[in-house]
Formats: sequence, C-alpha cells, structure tokens
Amino acid sequence: MSDARLQVLGLTKRFGKKTAVRDVSFTVQPNEFFCLLGPSGCGKTTILRMIGGLLVPDAGRVLLDGQDITFDPPEKRDINIVFQNYALFPHMTVYDNIAFGPRRQGWPEDRIRQEVGRLLEIAHLTGYEHKYPRQLSGGEQQRVALLRALITRPQVLLLDEPLGALDLKIRQQLQLELINIQDDFHITFIYVTHDQSEALAMGDRIAVMNQGRILQIGDPRSIYEAPVNRFVAYFIGNTNLFDGSVKEVAGQQARVAVPGVGDLWGVAPHGREKLRPGVSVAVSVRPEKIHIARTAPAEGAWNRAQGIVQDIIYLGVSTEYIVRLNAGHTVRVFTQNLRRNGGHDAITWDDQVWVYWRPAHSLILPD
Amino acid sequence: MTGAEPSRRARWRYLLGQYAGLLVNLTPPLLYLLALFYAPMSILLVMSFWKSGYMTLEPAFTLENYITFFTTPVYLKALANTFVIATGTMLALVVLAFPMAYYLARMHPRHERLIIYLLIIPVEINFLIRIFAWKIALGRSGIINRALLSLGLIHEPLKFLLYSKFAVALVLVHEWLPYVVIPLYLALKGIAPEVIAAARSLGATRWDVFRHIILPLSVPGLFASFVLVYIPMLGEFAVPALVGGPSGYMLGNVIENQFLSAGNWGLGSAIGFILLTVTLALVALVVKVAGVENLL
Repeated sequence: MSDARLQVLGLTKRFGKKTAVRDVSFTVQPNEFFCLLGPSGCGKTTILRMIGGLLVPDAGRVLLDGQDITFDPPEKRDINIVFQNYALFPHMTVYDNIAFGPRRQGWPEDRIRQEVGRLLEIAHLTGYEHKYPRQLSGGEQQRVALLRALITRPQVLLLDEPLGALDLKIRQQLQLELINIQDDFHITFIYVTHDQSEALAMGDRIAVMNQGRILQIGDPRSIYEAPVNRFVAYFIGNTNLFDGSVKEVAGQQARVAVPGVGDLWGVAPHGREKLRPGVSVAVSVRPEKIHIARTAPAEGAWNRAQGIVQDIIYLGVSTEYIVRLNAGHTVRVFTQNLRRNGGHDAITWDDQVWVYWRPAHSLILPD
Repeated sequence: MTGAEPSRRARWRYLLGQYAGLLVNLTPPLLYLLALFYAPMSILLVMSFWKSGYMTLEPAFTLENYITFFTTPVYLKALANTFVIATGTMLALVVLAFPMAYYLARMHPRHERLIIYLLIIPVEINFLIRIFAWKIALGRSGIINRALLSLGLIHEPLKFLLYSKFAVALVLVHEWLPYVVIPLYLALKGIAPEVIAAARSLGATRWDVFRHIILPLSVPGLFASFVLVYIPMLGEFAVPALVGGPSGYMLGNVIENQFLSAGNWGLGSAIGFILLTVTLALVALVVKVAGVENLL
C-alpha cells in the first residue's frame, strides 16, 4: 500500500433517487490540511460522514493507513469529528466533555486531568473546567469541541464547517488557531467548507466539488490561477467570464471571438487538445489582473476593451471598479490603493476608460 | 424640585402601566384557586384534627384520626398497595415508553405526526368507558379468557386477569402511556443527532451513548412524566374500584369510602393529608436526587 493516511476510492451515495456523491476518489497524506469545498448540497458533508462512519456508502471504499474501514462503526475508527453546531454534551462540564474520549479508551484519571489542563491552557480556556457548554460563547464552545476531538490524537480529524456559525472576527482568529493546532499536533485534517476564502487560507490542498463530483484537486494557488473549468473559476474568488468560440490556435495561445467585445488572446491552463476553431469556451479573467486607465494601452501586447465607469467600491485596501463595456458586458477591476488619495487624475464615475490585461491572464476554459 | 424630575403622578401612572396587565391577568385565577382549592383544603386540614365518627364532627384538636390510620392494618395495607401498584405501573410505563419515544424522536416528521395522533386519540375517549371496556375484556368469560380457552392454551379461565393488582396496573398503563411517551419524546427530540454522532466518533459504543448521553439527557422528560403520571396514580380510585377487587384496593378508595360511605370526614381528611405529605416528600426527594433544577 502507499503511505497515504486516508484513501477514498470510488465513493458513491444515493438518497432515494438523488445521487449525493458520485464516484469520488482522493488521497490524503499524513499531516495534510485537506479541504472539501463546494456549494451547499454538493455532497461534501456526505463524504465526511462516510469517512467518519456515520453513513455507509452504496459503492466504494474508505482506507485508513491502508486498512479498509468502509463498514467499521464510528467508535472503531481512529477518526474524530468536529461539527458546525459544536455538539458538546450539554449535561457535562467542559472537563467532562474533553475527558469523554480518553475515558472511553480507559486512560487513568490522573493522565486525563493533566492532559485536559494542558489543552485548556493551549486554547486559553484555563479555569473553564467546571463551566457548562451553555455558559460559553460560540467561539469558546467550538474550542472545547476541538479539544475534545484532539485529546486522543486521532489519525484523522474531520471538521464539518466548524466555523460556519461564528462571527467574522472570531472566525478569522480561529482559522489561525486551527492552522497552528494542526501544525503542533501533526494530525491530518479533512475540512469541509462552502467558504472559498477559508479554503484558500487554510488548505494545503483543496478539492472543489459540485453536484456530487470532485471537479479539481490542487493547492490553493493552482485552483485559483489554473481552474479546470468555468464552475471552478467562478466559484473560487471573483472572476470576469466571457463566452465565445475559438477562432485560431497559435503556439501556446489561442484567439477567442467574444461577441460584442472582439477577439481575446488567452491560454488554456489545462492543455490545448480540445481547442479547435469553432469550439465554444469561456474566458476567465481575474479582476486583479486587469488594468484600468483613461488612455489606451499599446495595441498587440494586451487584450483591451473600452467602457464607462458605472460604480466604484472603495474598500480601503483596494478599490473595485465596475466598468460597463460598450458592448454591454460588465467587467470588475480591482486596483490596490497604493496612494492615500487617488491623485488628481483619479478615475471617477462615468469616466470613459480602457480596461486591459495580458493574454497570459485570459484563461480559456471548457464550458 | 427641578424641572427635570418626573412628577409623582407620572411615576405612578408609569408603574400602574407596568403592573396593570399583571394584576388583571393574575387576579382571577388566583382568586379562583384561593376560593375553590386552598380554602376548602384548609377546612379539610382543620377537620382532620377534629373528633370525628360516623356522621359526626366535633371541633377539637386531637391526633386521633392520624393515630387511627397508623394503627389500622387495612389502611396501612392500602397505603403499601398504593405504592406497589403506582411504582410497578410507572416502571412498566417507562420501559414501554422509552423505546417508543426514542424512535419517535428520530422518525421522518410525517410518520412522527401520525404516531402522535394515534397516541393521543385514545386519550380523547372517556376514561370510564375505557375502564368498562377493559372489565368486559378481562372478565371470567371475557374475550381474552374465551380466546385462550378455545385455543386450548388454558383449561379454566385465568382469575388474575380481573380484580387484581395486575388488572389495575394494566388499565393504568393504558390510561397513562401517552403522558409518559410525550414528555420523554420531547426530551429525546432535544438531543441533536450530532451530539450522538460526536460521542460515537469519540469511541462510545451504543450502550455508552445510552448510558452517558441519552439517559442523563432524558431526565427532564422522566421528571415531567413522574409529576404528570406517578403522582396522580397515587390518588387513583376509579380504576381500583372497578377492576381492582380486594387485592387491588388503594388509598384513594379508602379516602373515598370515608367520605361517601363511612361518613367519617375527619378520618378521610387525615388520610388525604397523609397521602399528600408522602407525595410532596417524594417529589422533593426526586428533585434532589435527579438534580432537576440543573436541567430545567
């Protein structure tokens, strides 16, 4: 067997007539932070439940360290789960909650007391031993749930949208804590989320899912900069999409005719085999890759289009321009605010502007 | 006084506005309870210390009635019977209701609703009619005995079916089952499925989950059904009167008898207060042991 920590092979699950998970396979390495990312209802939680033993697949297998655990009950798997609603035992104190797993494994109470104390210290919850879950804030409850799941050092920790119910500030803080804990404990994390920015920030690798299938697996940069198709480009981050058809293929690049906008030069991030003249494709351009100016760029080196500034959204660190092209398309452009005031030539509403970008930043994607 | 001070009148009007609703809403029920429950109860309490005999009552302060109760074996037997029957029935009810409530709490909502209707409909039928129906079914030549006889399983009618503790318990189970299932069901429904899943993933077997999660979390439901069912069962008199016979005689029958046949209101009141005292002590004990305040 390989040295993979967890392998999922051809997993399929149907609920009635609906296929929730369709022939999903992936491999997770030891100590990896692996994200399952997709819109709600895409099947990511179902996969997590099958790995945790809360559901049995209709087809496929789950291997933990090479051992088939597909049909093992949850208590037999060295895998723990953290839920979005914390799922703390409401009638137990923080101490008893965290001690629950060790007690099932028969740890001596001395060792439990020591370890619980140590973990509470790491999580800045010292003194919380005798509080009940209902006396804690959401963030504190989720920290306790995390400690409860970590204390027995499982091979794999499954996290089902663990930060989904928390405020933005606490969420960002806990994201950092989670990354640090994962580093310290050397535990493999499988993290389910529908929040693409969370997945980008935390994951070593991300599996992007839609409608029960995995569309792409890769590290955050490759998912963002080289999406495999229109859905992945659209779902991860922001992007501008133009529909068109291939006109010609020349070397690494291809020319796509976009009705109304004109011809755009671009690259296909995942091979050019399917790029033949006449094939319909989508062209994706990330907003931060686009320049905006009142003066026209040099012809040839750039894809370019002319339009009118429709909206300006000032975000402090950056400014977003929404430009209505003469052909009717709307293009979003992000620029960094490198100067405190935009300068006396700052672009403003209703200005006639040019938007332009390098062909290398036009990603030609199958529909 | 400066102009910024609110006037006395404004303050009074404010307070009246605050408490008017409370006064209007609480006064009628309080008066009702006072006039029709606490006042008569107080009269009975006073009466229980009077000298009393057949159709006689003489103002006094004597413990005679209480002494009579504790020195008459028939009455003590009825007290013991009452606790045996109520406790046994309660245990049977919990054993029957727990799995039912558990699966009900985890069912598809549509099936859940149907079963709750099925559970509630019998409650809508007059309980005397239900007791008489049981009487017919359990009798010497009732449907149960006749069926068993014709199947050759027994050679003479089963006697314990009617006029026995068994009969009382059986009818009481029938009468009270919904009142045990529903509070338990509500308590069990409050347990998030993730809580159980988390326990399983942490290494708990099904039995561990029941012992450490489900059972402790169902205590409020058990307590509610205890208050709703066990306590009224201690005061039961109609069921034992109709299907209990001599061996199913309960304290409720003794009290009823003192008031309606023996004409000894003093003794009847005294026994009533003995039952009430034991009951309240029991509730206090259960509250203390189960730590219910912690959970409610």
